[in-house]
Amino acid sequence: MQKDREVPIVYTIRGCDACVKLLRKWDSEGVKYEERRADLSQEVLEEARNYGSVVPIVVWPDGRIEQGFEGALGCFI
Amino acid sequence: MLQTTTVVTPARFEQGLRYEEFLAQAKVNRDKFELYYKDQALTAADVSFFKKAAALPNGPAKILALAEAWCGDVFRELPTAERIAEATGMDLRIFLRDENPDIMDEFLLNGKARAIPVFVFYTKETRYITHFTERSSGAHKELAAIMDQVRSQLNLPPGTTFATAPEASKQAFLREVIARITPRFPEWRKESIKEMRALLSTALNLPDQP
Repeated sequence: MQKDREVPIVYTIRGCDACVKLLRKWDSEGVKYEERRADLSQEVLEEARNYGSVVPIVVWPDGRIEQGFEGALGCFI
Repeated sequence: MLQTTTVVTPARFEQGLRYEEFLAQAKVNRDKFELYYKDQALTAADVSFFKKAAALPNGPAKILALAEAWCGDVFRELPTAERIAEATGMDLRIFLRDENPDIMDEFLLNGKARAIPVFVFYTKETRYITHFTERSSGAHKELAAIMDQVRSQLNLPPGTTFATAPEASKQAFLREVIARITPRFPEWRKESIKEMRALLSTALNLPDQP
């Protein structure tokens, strides 16, 4: 969907401190994003694995991929 | 570190999930748990040691595991704990980390990190013996060495962390570290077993020669 391309997609696990910190930061800054919970669905988890090994994984609209947050190694998935 | 009083009473221990119950409630990674259960890392010598430990009057009879199915370290290591339990008759009970913060608080890594898996060995009376957290000290040392190598490769100053790396290098730093440690995971599983043996050997004064 075109809308998906306008905001970053972020793959998260809610028990992962780095993921929670990233979302908290974005929420406080008013950043719009689409969260996909890798802890709730095998399908989403497999999708996340296509982009990286450590959550949070951010897929930016321009195709850039970032893993981790503020230098935390995050959680291996 | 460990508190003098504990929330892990015999009755609480009994509330933990058995391995099959844990798998049944898992929303993700059941295939990974199965894979690592089949590809067991325990050797005959390991089994012999754990059996010897379990046979001691004050030896381990129970293992409490803190775990979550989404965690890579958990799906690699928890099947080993199940294998140890099966081989020795120890009672393995699994507690979900995020639903049992009071138990997790007793076993925080370095007093702050909710690192999992945690495997806590108890006597049959649920007296604490020792515990293992996340990965072995050997694995942690290796990770530190790999980070040094990658810093050097990327011309980052010594001591640079993921947090302090320049924005332009941050993702490359992380990607390279991940690429180098991932092939080490099979060896780290063996290191975890070695460390559990060492922890029990020390706590029980039981000689061990892995």
